Amino acid sequence: MEGSALVQVAGFPVALDRSYHAESHMWVFRTGLAHVRIGMDSLGLETSGTLAQLSFAPVGSELTAGRPFGQLEAAKFVGPLISPVTGTLLAVNDDVVTDASLAERDPYEAGWLIDASLDDPFDELQGLLADPAAVSAWFADKIAEYRLQGVISE
Amino acid sequence: MTDELRVIDFGHSSPLRSQTLWHAVAYGVSAGAPATLSFVRPAEPYVCLGYHRDVAEIDLDYCRTNRLPLLRRMVGGGPVYLDQGQLFFQICLPSRSLPAIRSQALRRLLEPAVTAFHAVGVPAVLDDELEICVGDRKICGHGAGQIEDGVVVCGNLIETFDHERATRVLALSDPVHREVTLALMRRFVAATPVDPAAFRAAMAEAYSSAFGLSGAPGELSGIERKTLTDLDERFSSDGWLAGTRRSGEATVAAPRARQIKVRAGIWTFAATYDGARVTASVVRGRIEQVHLYDRALNGSSREVERAVTGIGLHSVAQVLAGFGDPGRRLATAFATADPGRI
Repeated sequence: MEGSALVQVAGFPVALDRSYHAESHMWVFRTGLAHVRIGMDSLGLETSGTLAQLSFAPVGSELTAGRPFGQLEAAKFVGPLISPVTGTLLAVNDDVVTDASLAERDPYEAGWLIDASLDDPFDELQGLLADPAAVSAWFADKIAEYRLQGVISE
Repeated sequence: MTDELRVIDFGHSSPLRSQTLWHAVAYGVSAGAPATLSFVRPAEPYVCLGYHRDVAEIDLDYCRTNRLPLLRRMVGGGPVYLDQGQLFFQICLPSRSLPAIRSQALRRLLEPAVTAFHAVGVPAVLDDELEICVGDRKICGHGAGQIEDGVVVCGNLIETFDHERATRVLALSDPVHREVTLALMRRFVAATPVDPAAFRAAMAEAYSSAFGLSGAPGELSGIERKTLTDLDERFSSDGWLAGTRRSGEATVAAPRARQIKVRAGIWTFAATYDGARVTASVVRGRIEQVHLYDRALNGSSREVERAVTGIGLHSVAQVLAGFGDPGRRLATAFATADPGRI
């Protein structure tokens, strides 16, 4: 993940070398044919509030796209971390469990959440946003929407 | 979502049931039961931990000696003491009926409670940090969570509050820390003793109105009763109580400082570093009270305490830099405090 093509969109960093699950604000970076690293993008983190804790399903758990693979607590609200892929949880980033703020400080590198294998390495990522121009446009739209709603500051 | 708001008053329940009943409701709502507003009052006092919190935060010997059960809930927040003087409410809706952004969902779920407080004569406000307050005193604790596809927010009407016991159940090795915490707890957490029946009625009206639902008394479904039995077993198990941060696992985070949040923006902490010791209270970002020790201060700790009292937490390191090695050790101890994470 060296040189992760990080760009700023309206004040929020986004890495253009990976795919995004728009609803959950999770990114997916392919680390091998059937292996991916998963994290949360800067906008998803910003709108969650100050992270207090992260916890994850045990290594070896089955992942289902659209279903939780862990929990995120912010502002006394415990909510699900939604998996963008179907596969198997291979590893958890212990550093973010120890210090959840790492995910906020470095969401696209050191603040990754889990490593996973894909059930279907060919089609699994097809439904995600991957084209850099589309990712940038989506990010810009969401920032504008959240600012309009007062969820994030100008 | 149906257009019904099911209202269930569970009355007085055992400590275990005062948790498992509304968790069963949340699973029920997730599976298609109507949005539900429930009430429960614990029949006996107990202590409850937030989903991610560590059992080590509780003085287990004190709880054992005083027969206070310890339970873990599935929603967030810190350890709390619950007793008969608090009427607990839970509002649960399907996640699809709420904004996806957590802060928006939480605000939407707390605003009707503020309306209800007003209806019974309590001039409550929902502040920017989503605490329900009168003036600068918190009058309603809350925690929130998503249980499968049901989003639940819990809170309480505090009719009486045992500040001393609420502090005593916490594991605090430093007596000064306990004293400072109790003082802030008394100052910033207040009871609003109103008629609980009127409050329940006002809550049902406020939530029905806010969500365009028709309130109607209800009860648990058969499936929820089965879930309740399962939850009774789960919540009674040692594994559940141990939580997500079981001792000995690689993912356990060593506490960087012992921190107690009294309400948003109001907290205390105690920390040590290389023989230096800090106990402090922080009120809206400023050090209000501080007790310092370092072996090299040779009786001059009062001077250092005066220097940091009243200053912003972010300025502490700069001020302590003027006190040589002891100042650096104390600054390192201060740096372990992280109020945003409690």
